[in-house]
Amino acid sequence: MSELLEVRDLCISVVANDGARTLLVDTVSFSIDAGERVALVGESGSGKSLTARALLGLDRQMELDGSIRFKGTELVGMPERELRKIRGSGIGMVFQDPLSALNPLMTIGDQVTAPLRAAGVSRHAAWERARRTLEELGVGDAESRMHAYPHQFSGGMRQRVVIAIALISEPELLVADEPTTALDVRVQAQVLRLLAEIADARGLAVLFITHDVGVVGELARRVEVMYAGTTVERGSVEAFFRSPAHPYTRGLLSAVPRLDDDSRLLSMAGAPPAPASRPSGCVFSPRCPYATERCRDDRPALHLTAARAEVACHYSPVEAEVPA
Amino acid sequence: MSTLTGPSRVPSSAPDTRTVWVRYLRPRPRRSSLLDIVTISVAAVLVLAAVFGPLIAPDIDRSSITEALQAPSFAHLFGTDQQGRDIFWRVVVGARYTLTSAVIIVVGYALLGVLIATLATTGPRWTNEMLTRFIDLGIAFPSLVFALGVAAALGPSLPTACIAMVVTGWPMTARLLQGIMKETLALPFVEAATVLGASPLRLMAHHLLPNSLPPLWIKWTGDIGNTALVLGALSFIGAGAQPPLPEWGAMVAASQEVAMTAWWTILFPGLAIVVTTTTFGLLGDMLHARMDPSRSRTRRRHGE
Amino acid sequence: MITVSHLHKRFRGHGRTPVIALDDVSLTVGRGDAVGLVGESGSGKSTLLRCLMRLERPDEGSIEYAGQDVARLHGRGLVAYRRGVQMVFQDPMGSLNPMMSVGSIVAEGLRIHNRRRGSRARTARVGELLELVGLNPDHADRHPAAFSGGQRQRIAIARALAVEPDVLVCDEPVSALDVSVQAQILNLLQDMRSTLGLSLLFIAHDLAVVRYLCEDIYVLKQGRVVEHASREDLFRAPAHEYTRQLLAALPSHAGLRPVNQYALPPQQKLES
Repeated sequence: MSELLEVRDLCISVVANDGARTLLVDTVSFSIDAGERVALVGESGSGKSLTARALLGLDRQMELDGSIRFKGTELVGMPERELRKIRGSGIGMVFQDPLSALNPLMTIGDQVTAPLRAAGVSRHAAWERARRTLEELGVGDAESRMHAYPHQFSGGMRQRVVIAIALISEPELLVADEPTTALDVRVQAQVLRLLAEIADARGLAVLFITHDVGVVGELARRVEVMYAGTTVERGSVEAFFRSPAHPYTRGLLSAVPRLDDDSRLLSMAGAPPAPASRPSGCVFSPRCPYATERCRDDRPALHLTAARAEVACHYSPVEAEVPA
Repeated sequence: MSTLTGPSRVPSSAPDTRTVWVRYLRPRPRRSSLLDIVTISVAAVLVLAAVFGPLIAPDIDRSSITEALQAPSFAHLFGTDQQGRDIFWRVVVGARYTLTSAVIIVVGYALLGVLIATLATTGPRWTNEMLTRFIDLGIAFPSLVFALGVAAALGPSLPTACIAMVVTGWPMTARLLQGIMKETLALPFVEAATVLGASPLRLMAHHLLPNSLPPLWIKWTGDIGNTALVLGALSFIGAGAQPPLPEWGAMVAASQEVAMTAWWTILFPGLAIVVTTTTFGLLGDMLHARMDPSRSRTRRRHGE
Repeated sequence: MITVSHLHKRFRGHGRTPVIALDDVSLTVGRGDAVGLVGESGSGKSTLLRCLMRLERPDEGSIEYAGQDVARLHGRGLVAYRRGVQMVFQDPMGSLNPMMSVGSIVAEGLRIHNRRRGSRARTARVGELLELVGLNPDHADRHPAAFSGGQRQRIAIARALAVEPDVLVCDEPVSALDVSVQAQILNLLQDMRSTLGLSLLFIAHDLAVVRYLCEDIYVLKQGRVVEHASREDLFRAPAHEYTRQLLAALPSHAGLRPVNQYALPPQQKLES
């Protein structure tokens, strides 16, 4: 199976003025096959955005250790000008806030064609491709819309434009960083459906970063759960929703209000640890109701469960999957 | 419901319990550059000169024609002027006049500007309109010309120059503050205070002013330097301090005739003006760098 | 407690066409009720809120509280209204004055409405309130910057509760928070409602959240109330097309409940 993207033991640290190094992302590994759709789920401080941005080399002031291989090429340590070639045509990125991701002073057309123009494509050809891409994304009357400015569009339209910019150079992997957070509920559903369709049509692999647990199932087949800089669970979307293995994942899912359940939401006590004060054992142990001495001393590695998921916990999962 | 034990935020920082005003000056973890150290040292020297100079200086008005126009030497570090007075001590004593006047002027127009901006912001619509036009008028008014007018009317002296500068200085402060307060008014916590039932006075004193003034501290600090320069200019053209006051501008004016040969009579007072202006300008920059808020207002997800 | 009747509000838009923010909106919040208001952006929910809190004046219609027209209140009457109806804002960062200590922030309402005389009484009350919302009273000296988003919302809730209001209006108080923190704040609001007998008016765009907290729900679309139903009716048999669309837009897995719950007794767990 050809692995499009392989991340192995990735560590991201930030170095302060006085030389102190803080580890923000700790030994994260995952891979994405061609055409596969993976969701990276986590809350604030989990390191999910940093990990995604590291794929594109966006945070230059961070130190990267480990390996990120895209189609066999090592991205860690690659010089900026080489990375620029990969951005757009290899890996595309969709950002969170469509309003600030677009230049208010440039027309839509100029912004969507910019990556192509930079690669030397003629204005006419670029404009034509941009028009087709926008139409593919559901922007009606693209030809005239392309002369408009971002502020003349609604939020949903703007997000489509942002996606068009990401897709215009025909990347093989799309990294979407919370692409629907700033959108209304109905528009959110539309954009997610759209992304799924485009991904199918183009055979695009998608890495979908989100904190919104409910949304995960709309786009992804596989889930990676991150907490405090490490991966605590990974598996299929079904396993994620039906039988979450890690206590954090279970806590997360129990905290989401449901339509079919009136019981009190379960809220985990405490908060994720600051990067500088992460425990040496299991990162979740301070908050885990089941934590033992072993948990506090010994950081669990990811191991396979019966549901073919992987979980970083010494004791989980302990009960068998109960059929719905 | 468990009691949460403490702030956990990335990156964690020590909780700041000091008062509002001390926080402004809280040193940030930024290594002081050489320029910073020099700036503070020079400013300290100027302030010391202003405070203690007149107390320790020998009689600066004592003229001695025999010692007139002597070049700098060990006896007279900056030389002597046409009347044989020691320039070094006159420059030192002059610091008090210049600095004190500059500070008084800035404090004066700062208070006036804050008052007017406050009235404009909290008053009814018509007050706002009227005062805004008034401020516009004030800004358009040429300050130097006005100062000359005041000097003509009241007779030129350091106090009249000060009055003139206060009267022409407040519009800028008012305009700036008004603009900042307009932005601050739109911030959620101001609305929250309104919803709590806060009176306009409380809104202004507790919410609007403390959050709007920071940029002005920077402006006012730099202004002290500029004011010193303009004072010097006014004295130079005869509309400000009059001789025998050892005000630097007046000293430069008085030495014009002999400047070609006795260069020290103009150089040192002039240098004093330049150094003061530059130092306070740099102090303003330092304040700016130290007060620069690192917290941004972008929408982000917030965890516990 | 609060009756909104036929509210209309128009804004002058960018061009010449006026924007209709509220079009004949009516709603009621009774004593002890939890009322939810759902709408997307442009639905008018913010405008309605601002009219309720006397930050805006409606063009037509009335808002009644304790039998009085809110728009006509001034002086003592307005101050009393502000005591009776309090608000929690959406933005945990911006709704707290960064220059004030948390203790002062929470005590401000006490000061304005003279609820406690003397600084010692006020400090004690602030301590009580901070504990009530799950914060450490010893941290009253700290400034908002030292707290996380969820903690700041707790502070905002404490501030609103300080004046002992009858109605708490919440403007998307959890939208800017992480999932697990949302749950904490929602539970907190629920607890406050049951222990203090508060009425809640909860504005949100997330139907599932509204369902958790509220029994009576209004759906707003472009300034009009398109549906008003009880929680059971709305979710079982939504009447309006727009409501159906909103429900359909909810992620499909929102209904899927994980089979193994979080809070199983610890003893059963540590066997393998």
